[in-house]
Amino acid sequence: MSMTNLKSILKKDAPLTPAYILLLIWLLFSIVIIGWIFAASFSTTREIFTGTLFKSGIHIENYWNALVNQNFARYFFNSFVYTSTASVGIILISAPAAYVIGRMKFPGRKLLINTFLISMSIPVVMVVIPLFAVMIRLKLIGSMFTLIILYITSNVPFTVYFLTGFFSTLPKELEDSALIDGCSLYQAFWRIMLPLAQPGIITVGIFNFMTIWNEYFMALVFANKTELRTLAVGLQFTIQSMRYVGDWAGLFAAVIIVFLPTFILYILLSQKIIAGITGGAIKG
Amino acid sequence: MKRNRTFIIVCLTPALLSFLFFFLYPVLRTLLMSFYQVKGIADSMSLWEYIGFSNYINLIGSQLFRQSLINIFKIWFIGGIISVFFATLFAVILTSGVRFKAFWRSLIYLPNTISAVAIATMWTQYAYSNQDFGLLKSLFGALGIRALADIQWTGPRFIFTSMLIAFCFGSVGYFMLILLAGMERIPKELYESSRLEGASIFVQFTRITLPLIRNVFRTCIVLWSVAAFNFFVWAQMFSPIPVPETITPVYYLYNVVFGSSMQVPGYINVGTGAAVGAILTILVVVLYSAINLAIPEKKLEY
Repeated sequence: MSMTNLKSILKKDAPLTPAYILLLIWLLFSIVIIGWIFAASFSTTREIFTGTLFKSGIHIENYWNALVNQNFARYFFNSFVYTSTASVGIILISAPAAYVIGRMKFPGRKLLINTFLISMSIPVVMVVIPLFAVMIRLKLIGSMFTLIILYITSNVPFTVYFLTGFFSTLPKELEDSALIDGCSLYQAFWRIMLPLAQPGIITVGIFNFMTIWNEYFMALVFANKTELRTLAVGLQFTIQSMRYVGDWAGLFAAVIIVFLPTFILYILLSQKIIAGITGGAIKG
Repeated sequence: MKRNRTFIIVCLTPALLSFLFFFLYPVLRTLLMSFYQVKGIADSMSLWEYIGFSNYINLIGSQLFRQSLINIFKIWFIGGIISVFFATLFAVILTSGVRFKAFWRSLIYLPNTISAVAIATMWTQYAYSNQDFGLLKSLFGALGIRALADIQWTGPRFIFTSMLIAFCFGSVGYFMLILLAGMERIPKELYESSRLEGASIFVQFTRITLPLIRNVFRTCIVLWSVAAFNFFVWAQMFSPIPVPETITPVYYLYNVVFGSSMQVPGYINVGTGAAVGAILTILVVVLYSAINLAIPEKKLEY
C-alpha cells in the first residue's frame, strides 16, 4: 500500500476515531475474558490462584474430568436430543399452519394471527404450574419427552408468525399450475411450496435451535435429574459443587464446554442467525 | 370449496392443539388456581380450597415479594435505559461507515448466542471475582486504584449493580441488531441531502434517524420488557440462594413451588405461585397498554 493511499484512508477514518476506540475496548474486553477462561481451563486451580497459568503444561484432564466424572458428555447428548428433535417438530407443526394463514382466506384468520401474537408475550411462569401437573398425570416427568413436547409447543406461535410472512411472499403461479396439473393441495404444499420456503425454514430453524439449546427455566423445572439435565442446567449444578470443592480449573473447563458448541455454530452461521433475529422483530 | 376446507383444518389443527396445550389451558388454570389454596402441584381441583384474594394479599404483604417487584422495575427502567442507549450508540457507530462492520456486529451480538449460565459464570467467577485472579480486581490493582480494586462486586452492596451491568452487556447486541436493521432501511439520500444543507451527525440522528425508527424503538421497549419481567437466570446465577438484593418474581415463584429454600417443611401453597404468575401477566398487559398509548404504532412511508 502506497503512502498516499494510507494517508487518504487515515483522513477518511479520522473523524471515526472515537467509534473505533469504543469498538476496540469491546473487542479487548471480550478477548481477555474468553481468552483467560480458556487458558485457566487448561491449567490447575493452584496456578489460577498464584497467577502462573500453564506453568505445569496443559491439563487436558480438566475436560476429561468434566465430560466423564461430571456427566457433561451425558448433558451434551441430552441437549442435542432435546434441541434437534424439538426443532424439527416445531417446523412440522408450524409450516402447514403458516402456509394456510399466509396464502388462504378463511373466517377467523385475523383472530388466529392475533392469538398467536399475544401468546408470544405470555410469561412462562403463567403456564408452568399447570404444565407440571399435566406432565405428572401423564406420567411423563422423568422422561425426555416432557421437555421435547414443551419446547415444541412453546415455540410454535413464533415460528408460525415468522413463516407466515415468508409463505405469503411466494409466487402464486407455481401453486396454481401444480393444482391444474392434478396435484392435490397436500402435494402442492409438500412438493412445491415447502421446498420454496426452505430459506425461511432454515433461518427460523437455526434461531429455534439456539433458543432451545440455551433455554434454562423449563429445563431447570422439568429435567431435574442427572440423566435428563441439559448442558445449561448441568453447568449450574456443577458450578455449585465445584465451588465447594474448590476445583476452579474444572469449573472453567465446564464453562468452555458449554460455551464452545454455540460459539462455533455462531461463527459458521452468524449471517443466518442475525437474519433470523431481525426478520422476527422488524416485521412486527 | 370443501376440498379447501378439509385442507385448512388439517393444516391448522396441530398448531391449534399445541396452542391449547401450552397456552390457553395453562393460563386459565393458573388464573383459577390463584384464588385457591393448593397443597400439591398435581392435586385435582376437588382438593383445592377456595380462599378468595388471600394469595394476592399474602404476596403483597410479603416483603421479599415486594422487593422482587422493585427489583424488576429497577432492571426494567435503569437497565432499559443503559441497554437501549448503548445499543443505539453502537448501531449509529456501525452505520457511520466504520470498516469491518459485519465483524463488529457479530462480536457485539456474541453474548446472546451463548448460554446465560456460561456467560454469568464468566462474570461471577472471573470478572467480578474477589480472588487475586479476578479481572476487575487485578485491572484496578495494576492501575493503582485501590478504592475500585477493593470493591466486593458480588457482596450485598454491589451485587445488584454488578448483575445489572453483566445483563446489560449481553443485551446491548440484541437491541443493536434490531435498531441497525431499522436504520439500514432508511434511504441514504435523506442523509446526503441533509449533509449538503450542513446538518451535523447529531442533527441528522435526532431529525432523521430517530423519527424514522420509532416503530423499531417501540419493538425494543416491548422486547426489553419481556426480558425484564421474566428475569431469572442471572438472579439465580448471582445468588444461588434467593436474597432480597437480587430476587425477582420468577425466582420467587420458582422457590415457592419448585425449590426448597423458602418452603416451610410440610407446607406448600401452589396457589401463591399461581398468583405470582397472574400478577406478572397483569403487569405485562398494563405495560403493553401503556406503551400503546405512549408510542402508538404509526405507518411510516419512506
